[in-house]
This record gives sequence, C-alpha cells and structure tokens, in this order.
Amino acid sequence: MEVSTKPILTEDLDVKPSQGKTSVLKALRNNKVAYGSFWFLVVIHAVVFLGPLFWTTDPDTLQDAGSLASWSLQHPFGTDDLSRDVFARMLHGGRVTLIVGLAAMLFSLLIGTVVGACAGFFGKVVESILMRITEAMMAIPTFFFILVALTVLGTSPAMVILVIALAGWMEIARVVYGETLKWKEYEFVEAANASGATPFRILTKYIIPQIVPSIIVSGTLTIAAAILTESAISYLGLGIQAPTATWGNMLQNSQQYIWTAPVLGVLPGVAITIVVLAYNFLGDGLRDALDPKFVKK
Amino acid sequence: MKNRKWLGLFTLLMGILLLAACSYGADDSTQGAKGDGEPAAEGEPKKGGKVSIPIVADPTFNPWHPNAYAESNVVNRVLFSGLTQTGENLEPIPDLAEEWETSEDELEWTFHLRDDVLWHDGEQFTADDVAFTFNEIVLNEELGANNTSYFGQLKEVQVVDDYTVKFIMESPVAALPAYLSFNTEIIPEHIFAGQDPWDLTSFNKENPVGTGAFKLKSYTSGQNVVLERNEDFYGDIALLDEVEYKVLADANTHVAQLLSGELSIFALDDLSAIDRIEGAENVTVEARETPRFFWIIANQEVEKYQDVRVRQAILHSIDRQNIIDTVLKGYGTIADAGIAPALKDYYTDDVTRYDYDPERAKELLAEAGWEDTDGDGVVDKDGEPFTIDFEIGLQGDLEAISQMVQQYLVKTGFDVNLNAMEWNSMIQEVVVNRDYEMSLNWWRYPADPDLSAYMHSRSVAGNNIPAYQNPELDKLLDAGAQTSDVEERKEIYVDAQKLMAEELPYIFLWYPQEAQVRATNLKGVPNLAFGDALHHIHKWYIEE
Amino acid sequence: MLRFLMNRLGQSIILLLIVTIITFFLINLAPGGPSSTMRMDATAEERQAMVEKLGLDEPVMVRYIEWIGNAFQGDLGTSFNSGEPVTQRILERLPYTIELTIFTILISVILGIFLGVLSAIKRGKAQDHVINFFSVVGLSVPAFWLGLMLILLFSINLGWLPSSGVGSRGEEFSLWGYVSHLILPVLILTTTVLPNIVRFTRSSMLEVISQNYIRTARAKGAKESIVLYVHALRNALIPIITIIGMLIPRLLSGAVITEAIFGWTGIGTLIIEAARGRDYPLVMGVTVVITIVVVVCNLLVDLLYSRVDPRVKNV
Repeated sequence: MEVSTKPILTEDLDVKPSQGKTSVLKALRNNKVAYGSFWFLVVIHAVVFLGPLFWTTDPDTLQDAGSLASWSLQHPFGTDDLSRDVFARMLHGGRVTLIVGLAAMLFSLLIGTVVGACAGFFGKVVESILMRITEAMMAIPTFFFILVALTVLGTSPAMVILVIALAGWMEIARVVYGETLKWKEYEFVEAANASGATPFRILTKYIIPQIVPSIIVSGTLTIAAAILTESAISYLGLGIQAPTATWGNMLQNSQQYIWTAPVLGVLPGVAITIVVLAYNFLGDGLRDALDPKFVKK
Repeated sequence: MKNRKWLGLFTLLMGILLLAACSYGADDSTQGAKGDGEPAAEGEPKKGGKVSIPIVADPTFNPWHPNAYAESNVVNRVLFSGLTQTGENLEPIPDLAEEWETSEDELEWTFHLRDDVLWHDGEQFTADDVAFTFNEIVLNEELGANNTSYFGQLKEVQVVDDYTVKFIMESPVAALPAYLSFNTEIIPEHIFAGQDPWDLTSFNKENPVGTGAFKLKSYTSGQNVVLERNEDFYGDIALLDEVEYKVLADANTHVAQLLSGELSIFALDDLSAIDRIEGAENVTVEARETPRFFWIIANQEVEKYQDVRVRQAILHSIDRQNIIDTVLKGYGTIADAGIAPALKDYYTDDVTRYDYDPERAKELLAEAGWEDTDGDGVVDKDGEPFTIDFEIGLQGDLEAISQMVQQYLVKTGFDVNLNAMEWNSMIQEVVVNRDYEMSLNWWRYPADPDLSAYMHSRSVAGNNIPAYQNPELDKLLDAGAQTSDVEERKEIYVDAQKLMAEELPYIFLWYPQEAQVRATNLKGVPNLAFGDALHHIHKWYIEE
Repeated sequence: MLRFLMNRLGQSIILLLIVTIITFFLINLAPGGPSSTMRMDATAEERQAMVEKLGLDEPVMVRYIEWIGNAFQGDLGTSFNSGEPVTQRILERLPYTIELTIFTILISVILGIFLGVLSAIKRGKAQDHVINFFSVVGLSVPAFWLGLMLILLFSINLGWLPSSGVGSRGEEFSLWGYVSHLILPVLILTTTVLPNIVRFTRSSMLEVISQNYIRTARAKGAKESIVLYVHALRNALIPIITIIGMLIPRLLSGAVITEAIFGWTGIGTLIIEAARGRDYPLVMGVTVVITIVVVVCNLLVDLLYSRVDPRVKNV
C-alpha cells in the first residue's frame, strides 16, 4: 500500500464546475437495487404525506370498534390498545418520523458541511481545531449524551431533532473536509483564488457545488441513521411523546403488548426497517456510483 | 434475476419475523379453568421453600431514607417492624406495640411495647429505639425523612419506661395507629445514634439490622436481595426458608418470569398482559382493594376551574367505565369521592354520581357561560376558547389514560393540549412550581379515611396540589381527625364523601384494584393488597 | 514513540475536560433537580432539606471546580441516590458491560473478517450479494425491535432462552445458565457492529487485491489461497484494526440499548438509572469512565497499529 492515498483521477483532471448531478442519476440507474430503493422511497413518502388526505380517519380519536380490534375494511390494520385506528396512526406517525429524519439530516448536513469545508479550505489553526473537535466527537459514545440530554432537557420534537443532529454530523464533516482538500487544488479554484474572490464566494460558488454528490450520499445515509436513532430513543421513552404518533413510539408502546397483541409491534418495526433499508441501499448505490474505484465494469 | 433473489430473501426474513409475532397464542387453548382464588381448603402449612419477588431497582434498607421508594418499601416491611401493622380488615393491629390507648383529649397516645423483641444482631429492642426513630429522624426537619407529613401534628415521643412510650400530639390525630403501620418501621438506636442516618451505607446498603421475620442473607447490587428466616423472631416463626427480591427493571420480564415460575408474587401494574396471565395454569390472579384513588386536578388558582360546573362537566365528559375496561382491564371501581371501598367501614357510594353524559356536560358548560358560539367545535366565553394545558408524568398507565381522557374532553368541546413529560419534570412543574392547569395522577394513602393531607385548606402548600379550599370540608375533615370512635367517624366521613362528590375538589376518576398475581402453590397469603400482605409473610408457605 | 504517546495523552485530557464541562453544565442547568425525584407527596421542606444536604444551593461554577478537583484525585464523589461511592457503583457494573462487549468484539471480528474476505473474493457473485444484503439489513433493523422479536420467538414462544438477566451470578455456576443469558444480548450487539466490519474488510481487501504486488505474487504462480490469506489479508488487516477502534464508541452506544432490552446490569443501564434519578455524581462518573475507556481503547489501537504497520513506527 502506498503512503499517499490521494486518488489520482487522471481522466477527471479537466473537470468543469458542477457537472456531477446528471451522471449520478445515470450511474444510479445501473444499480437496480439502489434505483428500486429510490422509487420505493418516493412511493413511501407520497403515501405517508398524501395518504392522510384520502384516509381521513383521525389518528387520535377513539373508535367504536373497541381496543385491539382485528383488521377490517373500516380499520385496515385494526385498532390499537386505546381503540385508535392503526392505519391512520401509521400514516401520521410515518410523517413525523420521516420529518424528524429529514430535519435532523439537514441540520447535521449544515453543521458538517460548514465545519468540513472551513477546515479543509482554511487549513492551519482552523483545521486543527475543527478536525480535533470532530474527532473527539466521533470518539465519544454519543448515545450516552443523547440519553442524558433528553432526560434532563425534555423531549419536545425540536429538542429531539436538535440532539440527534448534534450527535450525527461528524461523518459528514470528514467527508466534506476530504473533498474540500481535494478540490481546492484544482485549477479553476486556484484561478478564482488568484482573481481575488472572497473565501466565502470560492467555497459556495466553486467548491461546495463539486461536493454536492458526496453530500447527497452522506445525507442519505444520515437520514437512515437519524430514523434509527429516533426509534432507539423512543424505546427508552425519550422520543417524541404521545399523543403525537411516531413509528418509534408506536413500537415502544407495543412492547407492553408483546404477550397479548404482538402484532402491534410488527407494523411500525417493519416500516422503520424497510425505510431505513431503502435509504441505506440508496446511499450505498449513490456512493458506488460516485466512487471510481467501484465502478462496475 | 438478482432482484428477485433479494426480494425472496427479504420476504423470507419478514416472514420469519411475522411468524414469530403471530404464532404466539396457540397454546392458550390448552389452559383449563383458571384458578379463581379457590378458598382456604388447603393442606397443612409446611416449613421450607422460598418466594421470589420482583423489585425494579436496588433497595435502600432504611424505611425513612428519602430515596426509599416502592422497591425499598417491600423489602423494609419484611426486614423491620413498626409499632402497628395492617390487619385483614385494613385496621391497625399490634406489632411491636401490644396495645395502645389515648388520653381523654386525644393528645397523648400511650403504646405498650413487647419486651421479647431482639434486633437481628442480638441487641434488645426497647422504647429508646422508638423514641430515637421519631425524635431524631422523623422530627428532625433538616433530614427531610420520608413520610414525615403524616407526623406533622406529632410534638415528641416520650420514654415512660423500657417498654412504654407516649406520643405527644399538637392536635388530635385519630389516624395515628394507622399511620404507624405505613412505611414507618422502627430503626435501631444502637447503630444510628450519632451517625448521619442517610450516609450510613454500611447499614442502608450493606448490613441492615431489623426486627422482622426475616433477616438479610446476601445482597448483590443490580441482582438480588436474599433474606433468610429469623429464628429469633418475636411472633410466629416464618415458614419460608428464604425470601428473594430480584432486581428486574422491565415489566415484561416480570410477566415472563412469573409464567416460567421464577417469580412467586407481586402486584401487576401494567395490565396489558393480564389475559395471558389469567390463562396460565400455575398462576392465580386476585383483585385486591387498595386505599388509592385516581384523579384529575384542575388548578384552583386558574379562574375557569373555580366554577364547580366546569369540574362537573369535565367528569360527565369522560367515559370512565370504558377507560377502566380498556386500560385497567376491569380492575377498578368508578369513584365520585376519595374514600376507597378498601376502607369498608367508611366507604359509601350513596353520593352524587357522574355518569358518562356528554350532553349533560355541555349543558353544565352552557350554564357556566361556555358555549360554542363560533362553531369551531371548541366552547368559548367572552371570545376566549376553552383551552386546557394537560400535563402528565410518564409512568405506568398514566400516558394511556390521559390520551383517552383528552379524546373525551375534545369531544365535549374543550381544546386540550396534552403534554406528557418525564416524571421528574412533571414533579418540578406540577408539584413544586404549581405551574399547571390540569394534571392526572393518583394517591395511595394509609388505611384511614383522613384525607386532610390531600384536600384540607391547611395542606395547600403540601399535597393539596389543586389548592382547593372549602371551610365546610375542612370542618368535616377536622372533626373526623379528632375522634377515634369508629361509628362517629363513619357518619362524619359519609358526609364528607357527599360533599366531595358535589364539590369535586379533585375530579375523581376511580378506585383501582390491585391485580395480585402469585404462583398457585404459594399459600397463606391473606386477602390484602400485596404491600399489606407482606406484613403477614411469616404465614406464607409453599404447598407441594 | 514517546512523543506520540505524550501527545495523545495531552489530547485525551483536553477531551475529558471538555466532556465533563459539557455534561456537568447540561445536567445542572436543566430544570428539575434531584429534589424533584422524591416521592410526589414529599413536602416543600423535605425537598429543600434535600437540596441543602446535597449542596445544590451553591453556584454551578463552584460545584464544578470542586468536582473536577476531587475527580483529578480519583474521587468521583458519592451517589445521590444510594449514598455509595460512585467509583464503587461503576466498578460493580463495568465488568458486565466489558464482558458483553468483549464477546461481541470477538465474534464480530472473526465472523466479520471471514465474511468480508469471502465477499471480496466472490465479488459480484451470489455470496457477495447475500453477505452485502444482510450487512445492510443488519445496519437497518432497529436493534431493540429485533431484540423484542427474538425474545418473542426464543423466550416466549419456544422457551429456549431467558428473556433477561445476567444469569446465575451469586448462585452456583452453571455453564448453560451463563451462556444462555449471553446469547441474545451478544447477538443483538453484534448486529450493530458486524456489518461495519464486514463491509470495511471487503473494501479493504478489494483495494489490496488490486495492487501490484498481489498481481505479482499471482503471476509468480503462488497458490491463490496463500496469496489471499498471507499477502492480501495481512495488508488489509491494518485498516481493519483502525475500524475496530472507531467502532468502540458505537459498541458502547449499542450496549445502552442492548442492556436496557435484556436487563443486563452494566454501565448502560446504570447511566439510564442515573439520568432518570437525577443522580448527578453518578452521571458524571459514568461519563468520565466511559470516555476514559474509549480513550484507552483508541490508544491501544494506535499502538497495535504501529506494531503491524512498520511505516508508523517512527512517528
């Protein structure tokens, strides 16, 4: 193995600003699993966000069918322990879960990109401080802090999102850092630098657009992780609280019924798993498509 | 091609998981008639065997320690003894005290103690231990010991002779003997004298010395506490060899270990699994009355809740029977006042009843000036919609109950924001800061009808959290506290219950019953709530 | 080497300081202190007595300085809730977590390297796809849900394995009693790290295989298995050691959930208890100990790394 691991992308040397996106989608099309996952996610999001327009049963209202009613036309997934419509709760809960995942991801992305880009671009002291902090954050078991923070600060949705995001930006920062280091060596960046453009302009205009594909990959994988974290903290009773349904707290609530109605836990569990699975497949697919080392022949 | 294979794998995986979830329950049909508490036609009590009891956390072996919660109480009740204990009719009966009497003015109680009691380390138990426990621990305000609120009227405990003590009161407290049976065990002066009672971990965490029917054998933090028979016990020597408390935080584990025979007896808090347990052959479930009531409180500092019609409307809005059936699986009786049926001598249901009647609720609201004038489904008055901030702590079934309550209130026309928060935050907001509008919880009280601590206007800074003040109710509560005569008290408390039901200082919900689950071969457990039955653990035995 | 160690030690101390400051101020500035963990019917006087007894009426800054001063002398204080020394409570629990994580690491590393190499060798073939698929599934299933489903299957329906507990500690030792309690927790914890090791091994192997000297070895006619296991794997192992170091925090995070599901009385359940009970000294103690564990592990990994990779030796 060589000491220098910086890939030499001979064929990319004369690359032009933002030319990546279309090729990403094209490359993705070759990876059937990732492509399938993409469309699956589109469908799931459509169902969860638009579904309540068609399935107008209120997720919190007590139904006449009684508690733990089995599947019927009126209640396709039956009713839960408090006689609420499980289908409606799955739709509304999915909404909250996916929004939490997306919001936490966006926030992580913001922190990660700023930290990574600044560290990579400015170098020296800025780099040392920012990257040491990033490494330190990666080295501590963040779940302990999530747990302590949510226990003492409470579990409002905003707090949940904030805490998940604060625990999940480090990987993104590292990716962006690496990419920034690479791109700032390119001629068009150096040219911009020579022409006296401000660092902010160079970063936002020339460097970050180049990194977008990598950011998309990281973002996709971060959503998956955020959804999983949300469900894990829900399990400990520290997620978003009732009466707001989320897949995580539905799952947590179902565990007391493991003896008498284990089916209650299957739906949200499967839903979380397949959505996270799809995001992970999509993320992997995108990464493979972007990484020349793994381009399939 | 590749995709199909993946899809196949995926389907297989999900199938296995679904199977795991659904195959459950098939064995239910094999269960025969359930052991519905067959009467005492049991064999001769026999020595030997052990029982296992779950506790949710490590205990503290000191009944007065501020951190001695439920998990400690069930251990301390067996390790230590109080002056009195709870009898089979929930009346106080002798324990360390053989008999007691009160002076004419009811300000002096004399307790005659047993002279044959040894501490587990062989020292003699005397009146000094009693005086020490009360004068140095309970009445020492700097310590902030547990349960001291019951002894607010206690001035001091005087030692008359080695085996006689006098409780000197500021004002009469008829419930004193009952209070003395409720987590108020005596601790040894010869160990605690001159020590900080909370920092003495060699006692509180390692080597407790009590007077109870069992003494400590071993304790492994996070694992278990094992007690062994105290052969020098002053009462009937226990039949069981050992009592094991297993530290198990998770309620599902309690159920699993009960069904597999690894646990012997406990009070089932979460009733979700009751169907499965009732169907099991080796387990008996019994409903026990307990002096508890569930309530909603509406802060009386907030103007709109001061109108009794509003409180009545809230109660008429809620289908309490449905909540009892859904969440408590039937283990409860609708309450319209605070004195539970467990207190047979005092309970009455001949009070104002509040059936589930949303129409009546709307009428009452209209009388109080709240009507839905703008047709948005929420009642309003002077242009202000009726919004309720409903704050609850996450514990046990409170979350499920309050979600149902919220839905019922919404149906009547209240706009309810349910805010479920972690227990300690709730305590901080509702109990400490009193910064709340409405909350839901329950009280468990000693086996005495004196509810002054919860609704007397003198308790507003204490446990009268709704800050309800009514001179008429105060008068009745005072009268009840000042007489020891049961017949006289009965009349007073029947009147008090009628007044409570009319005025709703608390919005009473129900008196929960305890679902006591125990291994069918465990016998000799009296017909009492689990916590009280522990006073009689020396009578328990295992049938072959 | 020495300079490298000193450097790392300095960084670690700074890291510890930052972690303690953040945690200390976080818990102390939050509403609802230890006095609100008392019984609901505790009176205002009882609560005030508690606050004063615990010294919480002093300013946060003063308390932190006092705490950190004691901590540097090895005294982590006394647990609010049990009155026992924090160090003692942690030492009671830590071995259980270490036990759980060591078994998990052993299994994950052995299985992970095996599957990763297999996947790399069979790149693009069925085995590769199956391994890859299950790696992603492993990363995607909520661990606690899988745990519940396994309890449902193996404990409730089949009755083969205990649903919780650490086995017959304090009683007579039985091998099955010991092993049976470990199976499900180790399995769950393994799913949180195994996929990472598999995937990393795979890509690391692929990188090595494509390098010149492997091609040379092949060209020279060396046996394929020797090429793979002696030349390729040895070189691929170096980055694998780093990933194991990086997985330690993840493993400990996973241990919190795993311990909660299976009633495993380790450090994870201890931090949950401590946070819920507002046991500030215990929260701080666990935080410090966990950070130290991670720092030491990383240091060990670095040392190991410099042993296997000659190029790092003189850094």
